[in-house]
Amino acid sequence: MFGARKLLSALATSLSFAMLAAIPAAAEQGVTADSITIGAFGPITGPAAYIGLAGRDGATMAIKEINAAGGINGRKLNMIFEDDGHSPAKALAAVKKLIDEDKVFMLFNVAGSNGTIGTIDYVKEKGLVMFVSFASAPGVTWPFAKNLFRGGTTEVPRYGELYAEYIVDGLKAQKIAILSGREEYPKNEGDALTKQLQKWYKITPVKRAEFNIGDKDFTPQLLDLQQADPQVIAFFGNPAEAAIALRQAKELGLNQQFFVGTTMVDQGFLTAAGPAAEGASGFALIPLLPGSSNPAMKAWRAKWSAEYPNLPANRPNIFDVLAYADMYVVAEAMRNAGKDLTTDRLIDALENLHDYRVGPIASPRSFAKTHHIGNLRLQPMQVKNGEWVQVLWESKRPSDILQRYH
Amino acid sequence: MTWRIALQLALSGLSVGSIYAIVALSLAIPFKASRVLNFAQGELVTLGAYIALVLSSYGLPYPVMVPATLVIAAGFGILIERLFIRPIVGAPEFTLVIATFAIGLIIRALIRIHWQDNVFFLPAPYSGPALAVGPLRVNPSYLVIIGSTAALVTLLVLFFQQTRLGKAMRAVAYNQTAARLMGISVGKVFGSAWALSAAIGAAAGLLLAPVAGINPELGHLIVKALVAAVIGGFGSLGGAVFGGLLLGVLETYAGALFGAALKEVIPFAILIAFLLVRPNGLWGATQVRV
Repeated sequence: MFGARKLLSALATSLSFAMLAAIPAAAEQGVTADSITIGAFGPITGPAAYIGLAGRDGATMAIKEINAAGGINGRKLNMIFEDDGHSPAKALAAVKKLIDEDKVFMLFNVAGSNGTIGTIDYVKEKGLVMFVSFASAPGVTWPFAKNLFRGGTTEVPRYGELYAEYIVDGLKAQKIAILSGREEYPKNEGDALTKQLQKWYKITPVKRAEFNIGDKDFTPQLLDLQQADPQVIAFFGNPAEAAIALRQAKELGLNQQFFVGTTMVDQGFLTAAGPAAEGASGFALIPLLPGSSNPAMKAWRAKWSAEYPNLPANRPNIFDVLAYADMYVVAEAMRNAGKDLTTDRLIDALENLHDYRVGPIASPRSFAKTHHIGNLRLQPMQVKNGEWVQVLWESKRPSDILQRYH
Repeated sequence: MTWRIALQLALSGLSVGSIYAIVALSLAIPFKASRVLNFAQGELVTLGAYIALVLSSYGLPYPVMVPATLVIAAGFGILIERLFIRPIVGAPEFTLVIATFAIGLIIRALIRIHWQDNVFFLPAPYSGPALAVGPLRVNPSYLVIIGSTAALVTLLVLFFQQTRLGKAMRAVAYNQTAARLMGISVGKVFGSAWALSAAIGAAAGLLLAPVAGINPELGHLIVKALVAAVIGGFGSLGGAVFGGLLLGVLETYAGALFGAALKEVIPFAILIAFLLVRPNGLWGATQVRV
């Protein structure tokens, strides 16, 4: 009797070990024999929906193409998307759902900085890879975290360096005013420019005014700036707000040169602002804007339009392109990580990517063991005859920000 | 603050306040007739803008598109009243308010299904360079908004004083039972009030679209319109207009004097002050409970 029980126990133990040994590759959360599940989030409702809708659509189109071409090492990509409503709390709830309930392998973040800052601590704690396509919030890449990567955008302090150098050395302005939104991204851009103007040029902005997200009337702020008589007005916010502010500025007789943040350097801003956008300058995050007549961009736009035939005239926007390109970056790293895909292998593969890009529509992405900022290239642009055109200007100052990663 | 800046801010405040006033008016009309506070009014503003967007995509010229938008919006108003409000009009006020809130959410969700949250722009023929009036710069869009509000208020006053339907609405608002005994079709009056309210909401959407763009959140200004209606006295048309203009001007000056953060606080601080000091608003009728 006792002998039979011992035998049964030994058999059960052996079977358990045998079952565990049979599923090593599938043990990684979100990875099965034939699929990899990616959790994505961003704002698809509310005033920043132009970011998340484009992020979702760009990434979805890339996944469709990747899967049609055979997938990644025999596995198809599968994306679960959550709306974060541009809110840190909602973004955290979305990330918790994706990680803890949907059991995704990694996160693809197409949120703005406002949503992203709510998720950073939790994702660091969980250890999954979060690939951030748009958010420039410094916390993504500084202090350095092994599992957080930044794709198309660079850190906002680097924006501050480039903006300051371009406005002072490129536009030859000494009297600078700033009009910025009160939420995370535009506030960060305004702060970064203020800090860098002071640090490099000992210039204090002659005036700084703020507005609330979704504001429709900027008359009080513009009249305030007008009194300070600046040479350049730097605007940071959403394109719809920028368009209204620029139109109202011209109506009020403000003829100063406008410098705008990276989200405005896009076709949608031109459509909304109309002739008021003429002369405005800013930095582009991608080498070819979606409205470009370059053959590579025209071909990509045609592909996109076939996929999404009923969307408005200002789509695809730069965020469609960024998310599309960044999903290919993630896919390339997964491919390089090999058949036995784990978080550690993906991190290693991403850190070994150098100058990878899906085509001429995207900036090359490179990562290193010491920093996870994929793109450091920004192109100065100016609105001429109703179009964004490249400005022949290059940064000459060595970056202080990038020194800290060495 | 110089005189020029003070006047420029007043002009801007009046234009912002005019939009609040129109939406507050559209809230006050069905409330006067049926005592229903319509929380879907913001979405009717949004709906008006989207109707205009669809009609303009078919190439309708602006002078045709505007009345067509108002008529279609009025049709939606009648439909909402007949399908959702009339069957429960005898229910407690709280039930009716929740029902209108749900109707608003449904309208917004349906808009999102088709257009998502993309921003669309609807150019207006009156948009153009600012006019110089002495030291002031006047945006033609602002002039149209202020002028439209003035015209709308005049037409509504004439409607309520001179037309049979307007007089019937006033009678129903005063005493439904007596109005019914006098041969007035209360149901028809309710339907007309909702049609009128939806058309006025659509007018606000039409005026706002060229300035702010069109997206599903356009109707968020319902909160400010409610504040305006409370300041003026709920149910008072003149009060709603005055409340809207006062709120717009105060908000604009608050933004200039105290910054963007406090600009958002001022309307609600004013609301609390009115509720404490004058709970029936400036022109609201005092109700005595016995």
